[in-house]
Amino acid sequence: MTLARSAPVSWRERLRRHWQGRLSSPLGEPLPQKRLFLLPTRFGLGWAALIPVLVLFGINYQNSLAHALAFWLFALGVVVILRAWRNLLGVRLALRLPAEVFAGGEARLGIVASARRPRTALRVSAEGGAAWLDVRAGHGETELALPVPRRGVVRLPVLRLETRWPLGLVRAMSWQDHDTELLVWPRPLVEETSAHRPGGQGLDTGDFAGLRRFVPGDNPTRLAWKQWSRTGTLATKDFEAPPRESLWLDYQACRGAPERRLSILCGRVLAHHRAGDRYGLRLPGQVLAPGEGEAHRRAALDALARCQPPGLAELAP
Amino acid sequence: MSRLRRPASPVLLADGHRLGGVMLRQLFLGQCLVLALHLAWVPGWLAAMAVAVAGYRYLQLRRDLPRAGLVLRLVAVVGLVLALWVHYDGFGGMGSLIGLLLGIYLLKLLETQNRRDARVVVMIGLVTVTVAFLHDQGMLMALAALVTVAWLLQSLVWLSGARDARHAWRETAWLLGLSAPLMAVLFLVFPRMEPLWSMPQMGRAATGLSDQIAPGDIAELSRSDARAFRVAFEGTVPPPVERYWRVYTLSHFDGVRWTRATPSQLAATLGLPLSRFVHEGRRTAWGATDGEAPYTLELLLEPDSRPWRPSLGAPRSVDSPQRFLADGTLEGREPLRARSLLRLASSGAPPAHADPAGAVWHTLLPADTNPRTRALAKRLWRESGADPERYLRSVLARFGEAPYRYTLSPPRLTGRDRVDDFLFATRAGYCSHYASAMAVMARTVGIPARVVAGFQGGERHPDGHLTVRDYDAHAWVEVWREGAWRRLDPTAAIAPERIEQGAGAVREGREAFLADAPLSPLRLREIGWANQLRLEWERLEYRWQRGVIGYHREARDRLLAGLLATLEAWLTALLALGAWTLALGGGLVLGGALLATLGLRRLYRWALGQRGDAWRLQRLQAWLARRGRPALPGESPAAHLRRLAPEAGVAGPALLAAAEAFERLVYAPLAASERRRLRRRLRRRLREVRRGLPRRAGSGPGAGATGPEMAS
Repeated sequence: MTLARSAPVSWRERLRRHWQGRLSSPLGEPLPQKRLFLLPTRFGLGWAALIPVLVLFGINYQNSLAHALAFWLFALGVVVILRAWRNLLGVRLALRLPAEVFAGGEARLGIVASARRPRTALRVSAEGGAAWLDVRAGHGETELALPVPRRGVVRLPVLRLETRWPLGLVRAMSWQDHDTELLVWPRPLVEETSAHRPGGQGLDTGDFAGLRRFVPGDNPTRLAWKQWSRTGTLATKDFEAPPRESLWLDYQACRGAPERRLSILCGRVLAHHRAGDRYGLRLPGQVLAPGEGEAHRRAALDALARCQPPGLAELAP
Repeated sequence: MSRLRRPASPVLLADGHRLGGVMLRQLFLGQCLVLALHLAWVPGWLAAMAVAVAGYRYLQLRRDLPRAGLVLRLVAVVGLVLALWVHYDGFGGMGSLIGLLLGIYLLKLLETQNRRDARVVVMIGLVTVTVAFLHDQGMLMALAALVTVAWLLQSLVWLSGARDARHAWRETAWLLGLSAPLMAVLFLVFPRMEPLWSMPQMGRAATGLSDQIAPGDIAELSRSDARAFRVAFEGTVPPPVERYWRVYTLSHFDGVRWTRATPSQLAATLGLPLSRFVHEGRRTAWGATDGEAPYTLELLLEPDSRPWRPSLGAPRSVDSPQRFLADGTLEGREPLRARSLLRLASSGAPPAHADPAGAVWHTLLPADTNPRTRALAKRLWRESGADPERYLRSVLARFGEAPYRYTLSPPRLTGRDRVDDFLFATRAGYCSHYASAMAVMARTVGIPARVVAGFQGGERHPDGHLTVRDYDAHAWVEVWREGAWRRLDPTAAIAPERIEQGAGAVREGREAFLADAPLSPLRLREIGWANQLRLEWERLEYRWQRGVIGYHREARDRLLAGLLATLEAWLTALLALGAWTLALGGGLVLGGALLATLGLRRLYRWALGQRGDAWRLQRLQAWLARRGRPALPGESPAAHLRRLAPEAGVAGPALLAAAEAFERLVYAPLAASERRRLRRRLRRRLREVRRGLPRRAGSGPGAGATGPEMAS
């Protein structure tokens, strides 16, 4: 299974959620004893089967050292259960959401684990991905890459935290529940020009008016690089008037299925941002006034991600 | 080592599945250790095979060749099976099965690709270690096995994600240390059972005592220093000349060899019920039931293919059911598969009851053999006036005179009348020659006689226990006189030093002594310290064997009974104190425990509060001042630490963090939990500073040459 938008809830899904709610512990709190589960691995089952065999060997050959080794393996099994349990108990996980996620790629979730004692070989997994981390000096980090096939608001899956340390006989695990949501932008699609008829005039700008000090967020294409190489201070070229007519990216002007249109618009937004253009966005039920800069780009992409396109029937031109 | 410390996971290759070189090396070294446990007992070419397999895997990894194909693996297994078949001549014995297990364990490395395979290899390794205990359970074997198991565990820890070798070994040490007490308790408490079904046994050569004696055969036992059994006495210890360990009586003579007649053979031959010859139980059925048993001893018996059990004189009672034979010897129900303990009370003297086989059985001689011996016996009988006592004395006296010699390497006798050949031609022999001749001469004149095979003597250790070895094997004669069997030992007449000091004291024919044990430490008996060392080692070994290896059902029952008795004694002592005292005591203990759990934490906090953060920092400052880094006048503690940080090398970050934590503790308004966390962090940082601070060049003794880098 992969990440999916909240879908109609079947009874099976409801049952699963019910149990998940009972079994998992909330993210961000130290893992409590009650929500920590121990299961033998296949290797552990083999180990357990080996012990009676060795005891029988010891009995039938009246061999004391075989007895001793069998008992030692048993005692090791017991100790391993304790060590695995202690390795997981009290671990606190936190999520760090990725800054931008496009559909069709992967979301690289930052996972930050903290605990008082050092922990070894913790495995964090969710549907579709897994990552390993150690906690040393109270802190450990890793990145969990999850595939995100579709755009929109995605509810992140329950995280499973488990460890097989120290011998691989026992798996201690817990589920970490949370209601973090991730906004996935559409998959950017660079399309030949015919797919989109741009509304608006183009990129001509006003007359050059002078230089001003660079402010973070300024369009990188208007940096005065020559000035910078000469004086060492960053400056932005200022123009007399903003572009005479701004660019409109219009949903209705695109062709194809709704998701494809959104993808094309996403690719456009990225291209125009890179080019430093000023652009507006017209979506069904939403209009974003022309603007530029990083904040505008985010707003546009967010709008694309959240866009609820009308049904196909309404689209017929 | 540097390769072990690579930051990336050293266990797996970059693809995340296949095992890397480090892990394969770990597995191979584990195989080498397991092989070393077996190497003295298995064909040496298995070691060559292990190296070949490892070399193949190395090349494969280096050159990135494809994995070993099915054909190669099949060829390897078939080759192994064939080689073992040739070496062991079939797969009947236990040795060949062990070889097969070991070989498959070694070959498994060929197809070990991922984590799961590696775990399987380790598991087979553990089984193979257990099987090694079939060869030997001595202390050295146990130590070697411990090292091997630790190594195997360590490779499992690697597989589970250890960061480096240090980490893996620390975890292994924790695991072993924490599990050892539980293992010990289980070892002591787990019920010990008799074998549930019979298993293929190790082919043990019947090296020990034989149940037939032919004078003139090679004296095999004096050539070996193998241990026959060990004895600890409770109470009286017999003097060396009284240490006659009876094992078999040989009552059938065919003119060449004396053979033992087993109870079933006797019953069949004489037409008597078997129950007259053997009694199974814990007490003897012959002689006076309350007959005296001055010696109580604990035997630690070595495994042997025959079920013999030695006893000092006639056995009276034992601690586990055994077969008491009518000739006053003891036999186990079955051969011993492992070293085991047997507690025995015995009379120390030959049995005082008649053998149900009858006097006639004990005077039978083949009619037409050894004519000259018979003639001599008849002449001596006439000369002694038909008085058995005088006759026996004169025979013994005759052996004590020249030209009879006692030697450990006598000329071989091959003829039909061996006693004649010995008495009249070679006149040189050891105990079985003399015992055989003596018994023949006694029987010739109608005195019931039999040869007893067993051991005589034993090496006394400083802690009192005796070790009886193969070269202590001995044969002597028992004659039926005046309602009891009497021991007659012609060897005592001709070579008293053999009886008093053991076979090593016999000068003549020394080359045969220990001839099969060229490296025996017993050869160094004349060198004082070496002998001391050997005795000390054997004492340790004896305690190990008695305490750990000999820990079978009886020993466990005894120990648990002792523990229960101690517990019961405590309980009764407690009960004797009376109800009120008990209640008072219980209340006190409970209250104390409550106070302790509640109070200790508070006490600890109080102490911590007294010796707060400022106190800790002051101590660090004083410590720094002792290292030549005092605070400047008027400098705050945090400023002091911060000033030192840039030149403090590894301890620098810790110094900065400590200063920061201290200031926040003192000035920031913090919640209690935050404060606790911060305090812990401060303590940790302070420890790190002490660990990581480099010595200032030239300030400390011997610090000039090393620099700050070296100290870190």
